[in-house]
Amino acid sequence: MVSTAHKQNRSAELREQTFRRLLAWLDQGVDTNGQSYLAIRERLLGYFDRKNCLNADDLADETLNRVARRLDEEGGNIETETPAKYCYIVARFVFMEYLRANEKEIAALDNVSRQANAISSEDRDRKEKMLGCLDGCAAKLEVTQRELIFGYYSGEQRVKIENRRSLAQTLGVSVNALSIRACRIRDKLESCVKDCAKRE
Amino acid sequence: MSNPTDQNQVTQYLLGTLPEVERERLDELSVTSQEFAESLSASEKDLIDSYVQGELSGTMSAQFESHYLATLIRRERVAFAEAFQVFARTQRVFDDSSIRDQADLDKKRKRGWLSRLNIFGGQYPALQWGLAAAAIVLFAGGAFLLLQNVRLREQMSIEQAHRDELQQREMQLQKEIDQQRGSNTAIEQELAQVREERARLEEELKKSGKLPISGTAIASFVLTPQMRGVGQAQSVSMPANTGRVTMRLNLEPNDYQTFAVVLIDQANHQELWRSGKLKASAKGDDRTLNVSFPAGLLKPQVYALQVSGISANGRSEGLSDYPFKVVKY
Repeated sequence: MVSTAHKQNRSAELREQTFRRLLAWLDQGVDTNGQSYLAIRERLLGYFDRKNCLNADDLADETLNRVARRLDEEGGNIETETPAKYCYIVARFVFMEYLRANEKEIAALDNVSRQANAISSEDRDRKEKMLGCLDGCAAKLEVTQRELIFGYYSGEQRVKIENRRSLAQTLGVSVNALSIRACRIRDKLESCVKDCAKRE
Repeated sequence: MSNPTDQNQVTQYLLGTLPEVERERLDELSVTSQEFAESLSASEKDLIDSYVQGELSGTMSAQFESHYLATLIRRERVAFAEAFQVFARTQRVFDDSSIRDQADLDKKRKRGWLSRLNIFGGQYPALQWGLAAAAIVLFAGGAFLLLQNVRLREQMSIEQAHRDELQQREMQLQKEIDQQRGSNTAIEQELAQVREERARLEEELKKSGKLPISGTAIASFVLTPQMRGVGQAQSVSMPANTGRVTMRLNLEPNDYQTFAVVLIDQANHQELWRSGKLKASAKGDDRTLNVSFPAGLLKPQVYALQVSGISANGRSEGLSDYPFKVVKY
């Protein structure tokens, strides 16, 4: 008779094996040290969030779990679609299932959101906490990253546009490349601030 | 298919106002394309900032509040954007020197090995001046060599032109020499022809008994003394171009050893020629005198050679006359 611990260990080994298989398949032969997995998960999260799903995180994980299980069944490789395309196809199915399962709740939430104030008291509290965390999180950035992100988001309207153009010229990159770089730094800062705000 | 990076379309997508077909297309792109996903994220942040700063129009602001703020995740993003805006204002005067330094560093890295030669960064002044001096020397040397090259090329051109000129002159002279040679050859040929003709004529004259016509011919005659009384003078025929006349005079017996002969023009009795002291030639009992005088003295008329004997004391005595009549042809 197999012990529970053994079963758990065995499940863990299978999950680990499945996960490694998923990482390898997402990497498509180029070892990204898990970055491909994080990137596709982020994109799935954004997809489910834009679909106004309440638990976008869970749905993104569910999508990747299903992809991983399918990979196991196919012996580690799915050749019909590219990894990103296959993940999207599975995500659509997951979203459809979510819609069917939460049809009523979604309708109710839609009504609430349309009537919601732009900024609630919870939002204000959140903002205050984040403001408190920003100083510490900004200090964790490299000097050049800090200067870039504050330079990129400084000014309003036309002044902001001119600042960004000037900054891109200084760095010797296109405005589009600069915006992507600034976005990544802002995401990093935002992630730090959210974690900080949750702890407080 | 419309451009997925169309900013207006992306804004509509974020505000939930895009038609379903386009919305699904961008849904797929947001998962399958990392590039579009990053662009979408940047547009989303700009949209949030515009809302926070009150830059959205009334309609868009309403759409933003009714659609975009529907999820907690997105409300948290807006909250962060508000906090970030406040915090960024406190960083109003920022020093971008680090960015500039980093940009310079990146540029140097991109240049690779060339960037390691950046010795003009002020850290090696001696090397800097040394290299500057070396550069100046190299430049000056290069300029000098260039000038030398130009000068030598010019010199070579001049000498080549001179050589060409000499070559042309040589050809011209050679041509003249050839012409002269040709002319000389013609003259030589003409001279040979003339000589051939003269030889032929002389041969003919020889055959005909007449002396060849020559300016150097000598006409020789033998004269006997005139008999007592008036008699006919001996005719002597000589070519017109005879140069000299030689007369052999047969002497009458006499006792003189030395003689003198005088040529007399019988027409006017003028002495035309006188010999020096002559000695007679003996042949047996006969003695003769040989006299020679220029043929040009003679015309077709009568002359006489008067012979005188000269004694030891120098006294002369007339002995005989030898008249002759010249006939020239």
